[in-house]
Amino acid sequence: MKKNIFLLILVVSVNLLIYGNGTNEKSTSIPPIDMSKNYEITIGTWGQDVADAYNEALMKSDFTGKFPNIKVKFMVSDFSSHHTRAITTIAAGEATNEIEMLEVAQIAKFIEGGGLQPLDVEPFNGFDAGSELVEFAMVNASSKNGRLVAYPVDIAPAVLFYRKSLVDAAGVSLENLQSWDEFINIGMKLTKDLDGDGVIDQYAIPHAVEVSSVPLNGGMSGWFTKDGVPLEPKSKFMEALNLVKAVRDAGIDADLGTWSPPWLQSFGDGTIVATINGAWFGGALETYIAPETKGDWRVTYIPNNSAASMGGSYMSIPIAVPNDKKAAAWEVIKYLCTSEAAQLNSFRKLSSFPVLTTLYDNPVMDEKVEFFGGQKVRQIYSQVASKMPADPVSEYDPIARAIFGNYTTMVLVDDMPTTEAYSSALSEIIAVAD
Amino acid sequence: MKLVKSRLFVNSGKLAPYIFISPFIISFLVFGLYPMGYSITMSFWKWTAGGPQEFRGFDNFVKLLTSDPYFKLSLWNSFVLMIFGSGLQHLFAIPLAIILDDKSIKGRDFFKLTFFLPYITSVVSIVLIFSQLYDENYGWLNYIIVNVLGQDKVRWVTESVPIKTSISIMLNWQFIGWNTLIYLAGLQSIDESLYEAAEIDGATKIQQVFSITLPLLKPVIFFTLTLSIIGGFQIFEQPFVLLGGYEKMGGPGNAGLTSAFYLMATGFSYGRYGKASAIAWLMFIVVIVMNILHKKIVHSDE
Repeated sequence: MKKNIFLLILVVSVNLLIYGNGTNEKSTSIPPIDMSKNYEITIGTWGQDVADAYNEALMKSDFTGKFPNIKVKFMVSDFSSHHTRAITTIAAGEATNEIEMLEVAQIAKFIEGGGLQPLDVEPFNGFDAGSELVEFAMVNASSKNGRLVAYPVDIAPAVLFYRKSLVDAAGVSLENLQSWDEFINIGMKLTKDLDGDGVIDQYAIPHAVEVSSVPLNGGMSGWFTKDGVPLEPKSKFMEALNLVKAVRDAGIDADLGTWSPPWLQSFGDGTIVATINGAWFGGALETYIAPETKGDWRVTYIPNNSAASMGGSYMSIPIAVPNDKKAAAWEVIKYLCTSEAAQLNSFRKLSSFPVLTTLYDNPVMDEKVEFFGGQKVRQIYSQVASKMPADPVSEYDPIARAIFGNYTTMVLVDDMPTTEAYSSALSEIIAVAD
Repeated sequence: MKLVKSRLFVNSGKLAPYIFISPFIISFLVFGLYPMGYSITMSFWKWTAGGPQEFRGFDNFVKLLTSDPYFKLSLWNSFVLMIFGSGLQHLFAIPLAIILDDKSIKGRDFFKLTFFLPYITSVVSIVLIFSQLYDENYGWLNYIIVNVLGQDKVRWVTESVPIKTSISIMLNWQFIGWNTLIYLAGLQSIDESLYEAAEIDGATKIQQVFSITLPLLKPVIFFTLTLSIIGGFQIFEQPFVLLGGYEKMGGPGNAGLTSAFYLMATGFSYGRYGKASAIAWLMFIVVIVMNILHKKIVHSDE
């Protein structure tokens, strides 16, 4: 027992000495890529479909011709396991892959304090290379002092999806809605007891919370001001809380938890008429959520022509990756994020909306999409993407998002006054974010 | 000279014991002692997803015990779930074990297997099934409550008290069988002649239970309750899956936010590894104190 305690004290002492300088960052001297040397780069990602799409892009001659010395491999796991592994490895100052893909909600954790290789420095010069990338996505990966910690590879502009047959049957239109009040009024006409048994069978939307996320830009940024003050401007957060309450009070949401079996079923069986989500959701509807509804779905702008981000992915290089491999890893990232061929490939294969703004005028955006009844939905996606707000991101965003989300639920289920919800959330965020 | 000594050491057979215990020792050092030391180190730092940021000494511990609104709440939630989720199991498991110990019961093996099945079922599968039962609008429980009993539907996973109830029901269902088997093993070690003597003296079955079975089962009860206290403070998967993951923070009013849940959320969702390590060590101290109290209560009459 005494020996074990002695060993434990020894381990703690050694660790304290190792981390005594308070940083695990290595030298910033990064050599450029050496074309006479062969590189093997591993990308950690989620989903085999994502790996397949990127692999296909990296097999194209414009990449292999330029970098025949770079061989790319993938380490694929499910979404949750991938992020748990990647984040804990980076936090421990280690690196299992040269490139780690991170979902947009994870980026905030790395904004301040290192862990990821800054990409704004030599030899990357990420800001220059990314001058054609959509601005808000670059801002969301930038720290207060201008460090670029990751590179956006796809985004998810939020739009309103709806089933045309059900909207037409109600004799209303969801196009060009000028306000949320108008949306709620139409939602009440779409919410119906179809068989007259006293139970509502058709709702306007799945859950009130999806509407409240619009003023909050999908919840991925803007929780703190640039000066670090939480939940400001107050009006933005109060709008979200009041909106969620108005939707629930109007009875137009089905109160279906996202990704629950009833939620998944509701898009195909007619329980739900419309939903607000990122562009990627169109691909999910088409491939596995409700493929049988092909031709009936349409896409339009969110009421008041609001713009919000509901998803997105980034690529990063852990700081612990050997410096001599970082430039090669960067070339892979740069190709996947800034080349039209790679971005288009991901768009076609994964419905991942491009970050590359030069593609927004590409003829592919004018193509009719069969699943949406031949509608040119990509034009809408690209217009929303062009005007998405570039709110600041903070390392405390995940905490703020969880606390505020919790109080939003309490407004819905406990009838908590919205002012009380705001002030309680504010005081708890201040207490916990340290 | 050194080489000769080494050869003598090897040939004398003194090396063999070290080789035999080395797999455990190496595993313990790598997977036990080192992570423990690492987490103590982290607990003294502001340690984020980006690594160590600043040395904080005992600040993480002090803040958790004073200003953090969630830590104390999570301890309370864990305590409530430990009583009604982990502790309550024994009130079912002991009678079940006594019934199953009766050799006149037919199909004892079938019942043993049936009671034990939930324990070996994946927690995620259990929670997914229960979440369908608990679904407010489409769940079977609310269907019965509304259509058969004529009562208002219960918000099983969106209101504070029902959240704790729904987690407790799941925990009881999952672990009663495990405790029943442990008690059954304990019962089988009680000498049959004691019951025969009691019967000759005219003791009823109930009197036998209270005068023979429970006193002699006391060491097993102590063992299982100790496991329940430790397990009670480790409840994580059930509220995590049932209430929608880290983002929901244990549901409305944080009613399902257990200490282990808060630890995991702080580390793996909010990226505060130093604070999460401090939570882990505070939980360790709480569990030790609870077990010391438990031991004192159980052995108070000795």
